[in-house]
Order: sequence, then C-alpha cells, then structure tokens
Amino acid sequence: MASRESGRVKESEKRRVLDDAARKRRARKAIEALEQDNFHEDPHADLVMSKKVPKFADSNEKPTRKKKTRSAEYYKMRFRKTFAQLVEEDASSRSEPPNYLSAQVPPSKFPDRHFCAVCGFPSNYTCIPCGARYCSVKCLGTHLDTRCLKWTA
Amino acid sequence: MSETSCYILDNGGYTAKVGFSTTNEPKIVPNCIMKAKSERRRPFIASQIDECRDASGLFYILPFQKGFLINWDTQKTVWDFIFSKECCPVNFSEAPLIITEPLFNFSSIQEAMTEIFFEEYECQSLLRINATDLAEYHYRKLNSNESTVVVDSGYSFTYIVPYIKGKKYKDGIRRIDVGGKVLTNHLKEIISYRQLNVMDETYVINQVKEDSCFVSQDFMADMEIAKTRGSENTIVKDYVLPDYTTIRRGYLRDVVKPDEDLEQQTLRLNNERFSIPELLFRPSDVGIPQMGIPEAIMEAIGACPEENKESLLENIVLYGGCTLFPGFRDRVYNEVRAFALDHYDVNVTLADNPLTYPWEGGKFLFKDPEFYSFCMTKEEYEEEGKALAFERFDI
Ligand SMILES: [Zn+2]
Ligand SMILES: [Zn+2]
Repeated sequence: MASRESGRVKESEKRRVLDDAARKRRARKAIEALEQDNFHEDPHADLVMSKKVPKFADSNEKPTRKKKTRSAEYYKMRFRKTFAQLVEEDASSRSEPPNYLSAQVPPSKFPDRHFCAVCGFPSNYTCIPCGARYCSVKCLGTHLDTRCLKWTA
Repeated sequence: MSETSCYILDNGGYTAKVGFSTTNEPKIVPNCIMKAKSERRRPFIASQIDECRDASGLFYILPFQKGFLINWDTQKTVWDFIFSKECCPVNFSEAPLIITEPLFNFSSIQEAMTEIFFEEYECQSLLRINATDLAEYHYRKLNSNESTVVVDSGYSFTYIVPYIKGKKYKDGIRRIDVGGKVLTNHLKEIISYRQLNVMDETYVINQVKEDSCFVSQDFMADMEIAKTRGSENTIVKDYVLPDYTTIRRGYLRDVVKPDEDLEQQTLRLNNERFSIPELLFRPSDVGIPQMGIPEAIMEAIGACPEENKESLLENIVLYGGCTLFPGFRDRVYNEVRAFALDHYDVNVTLADNPLTYPWEGGKFLFKDPEFYSFCMTKEEYEEEGKALAFERFDI
C-alpha cells in the first residue's frame, strides 16, 4: 500500500505543471528581488552595535551658542513611516494626478522579447512545466536540473 | 542679505554630491552606511568606505528605499558625517543650503526635511528643490532654449521631465522603475546562476557593471556576435575580480588563455555586457511591464501642449549614473529620431559630467538675481511654519 502510494506521488510529480497563479508569483518575486539592498544577513548582527551616534568633529569652530542636537534614533522614531504607508497617504492626500503613481510609464507598445533562462540568448521554446524560456536541448537540461520545479514560489 | 557662497547638496539615493558653490566640483560620497565582513570593529559611513581594506561581502544600510528617504536614522548619521570636518564642513548660519529631493516627494517626507534643516541643522536660508530642476536650469543657462526634456537615469529609477519656459510640466512627467540598482541586482542574479555565487557582492558587482557594460546599438546583431566562438566574438571578455591584496578594483581584459596562469578569480562576460543596460531600453526583458527610455520620452512629450513639442525634441538632456554606459546617448538619439516625425529636429545631449550636472546647476542658480526669493528663511519658518514650505517649494 505504502509503495503504491509513493509510486503515484512520483507519477503526479512528473506531470506537475505550475499553475498560472504560481507562475505569476514567481515572476513577482523575481521583480521584487531586483529591488533588494542585500541578499545576506548583517555581518555584525551578532555584535551589540553601539546605538550612540558616531561623533564627528564639529564643523563650527566657535559655536555661537550651545545647541541641543538630537540623535539619529530620535529622527527614526519621529519620522517613522514605511514606503507602503507613504504611498497610501499620498494616494489620499494628492489623489488627483499628476502624482507618484500616475507618473509611472505604461507598458511598451512593442511585443515582449524572450530569452533563454539559462544562457540569456534569444529563445524560441517554452518549458511546459514552469513556463520558463530555453533555447536548446542543452539549456533545457540545465534548467530542469537546476530550477524549473525545484524552486518553490 | 546675500552670501558669497552657497552649500549645495544633491542628496541622491546612492551618492550625495556635496560642496560649496565656490568650489569647482562637488565631493561624491556614498549616501549609506556599510558594514564589512573583514572589519567587525565599526561601520563605514559614506566615504569612510575608502578606509576599508577588504570590500568583499559589504552589507548596505541605505537611507533611501525605492527612491524616497525612509530611514531617517541612517540619513541623519550620513548627514552628520557630510557636514563634519571629515567631509565637507559647513556653518548653515552663514551659507544658504540648496538640497535636492525626489520628484513627487511625499508630503510627510517634505515636512520632515523642512523641520530637520531648520531645527536640527539651524539653516538660515533653505532651498529644497528637485535635482531635475537644477539640471534644467543648468541646460537653459547654456542654451537659452525655451523647453527642455530632462532625463535623469539614476540609482532608484529613471525620470523623464518636460520643462516649458523653465517650469516643469507635471502632466508630462514619466517614471520608469529601472535604474542602476535593478541593473546591478540583475547582473548579480545571472552571474550567480551561470558561474559563481556573488549574491553577497553588490559592491563588487556594481563595479563589474560599471567597468564592463555598454549599450548596444543593434541588440539582435550583438547577440549574434556574442554567439560566435574565437576571434569573431569581439564582445566576450573576462573580468578579473579584486582580491584585496594585489588588486583593489577589478578590471576587464581579453579572455584568459587556457595555458595562462592567473592567480585571481575571473568572471566570463559575454551577452551580459549589453543585456544588462538593455533593461533601460526594454524593461519588459525582465518582466517589468513598462516602456523603455526613448519610448517614454515620446510619451512624455506627447502629453505636452502641441506648440512646445518641437522645442522639447530639440532639447533632450541626459544625466545620472546610468547615462555613463558607452553608447547610451547614441541609442537614445537613434530611437527618438526614429519615433519622431521627420520634419522635427531631434537633439540629445549627454551632460558633460553626468553625475554632477544638477549640482553644477545649483551653482548657476545661486548666481540668479532672484535666488533668495526661491529660498525660505529661518525667520519665515518660525513665523509661518511648515505650511509656507509647501507654497514656496514646488517639489
Ligand atoms: Zn540557452
Ligand atoms: Zn521549467
């Protein structure tokens, strides 16, 4: 019973095809990755970094009067808003175009071009399970071995 | 009042360009804090990175996200550094400040800018302005033209901004969400998949991009060349990576011969050399459903009044880090020329110094007899508050 079960799983695994939603999710993740600042962890994350602002020599030779300076932390708390919050706020306060959202260019009038997901040269073929493009049997092999359904999107 | 010099800070998402109007050129400093694997004692703030012996695996902390100032603690730390003796010292009670902000900057960020410069840095006179405004002023000073299309292809995105008689025509402004950051990240991704995992090496791969990439004038023809083997392939090169003992910055060279003994690690670059900058011209190549730069220029001009189109096409000016790729100007010119009606002239100018063009525009603007009428003073801020800043500055 158990062996028949796993046999069936293998069969379905072979015929597995990414559905449309999964393909879109993959495409969106790829675009989001292009926006990332770092792909690794903070190398000093294990250190307790001094929260103190580094001291730089004051540019003012003879300060006319003693000024209270506020820390970087103060401004972090004072102006704390995420990008998403700011876009939302803008959409309600400056809802009439032109604004940040309306300035985005529309899609190109030219048809999309397709490139091999492995070597980057123009491609004519589409991988049936995942929709990626490939240019040759060799590249398809590499694609199946390395990415294709091995990615979980 | 009129001061003899003005402090100009073009506060970009990747680098800040800073200096007094009396100096020839600004300092260009990274607008970020970096942490190195090799030095656990301290973070490197802005140009302090020059003191870092080994820049492999640098970790970035940036004040800007998607082109907007989001992380104020990071920005404050970088500004404190910039205004200190270590970088470009200033006394804001003596010199007016011109500082740039992104187009359509969100109103709460604008308020924060006004507050921090009047209250924390105690500016006497402040001018908050878009970098494209300074670039347009620069261009108009030199050309005495009526209308201009400013193309700013920077780190976070590319903006196309039409100006008519010195005023930005907001209905014509267009943004493409592709800039230097997307290009570097895409190059990192394909090198990591094809040959060597460099996902942690943004700093180095950004240099690879700067040293190796060019804008193709005939993309499909270059793809054919890149497919050929041997001496026919004039595109394929090797990039020698820095090892931080003998080489601090990598370089591009002819392909390493099989019998050649080279100690350093290399990357093979072939179609990567031109398919990366190609994203500025065809964002859809990586699935970003947007027009490329030349098409977006036509779209921006198309949104402007009919009577200004001729002058706009004759005065297209390009600046920003991405415009430094060899072939960038020619490709923009050729495509815009092909799109535009035959009876129009098309002129496309690459700024002499694409990184500092707006900063230099600030120098010209400071000499404008009306300069102080564009500024807001500390007294005005104290009397009328932040609301006045929204009236005075057209961000
Ligand atoms: Zn291929
Ligand atoms: Zn596949």
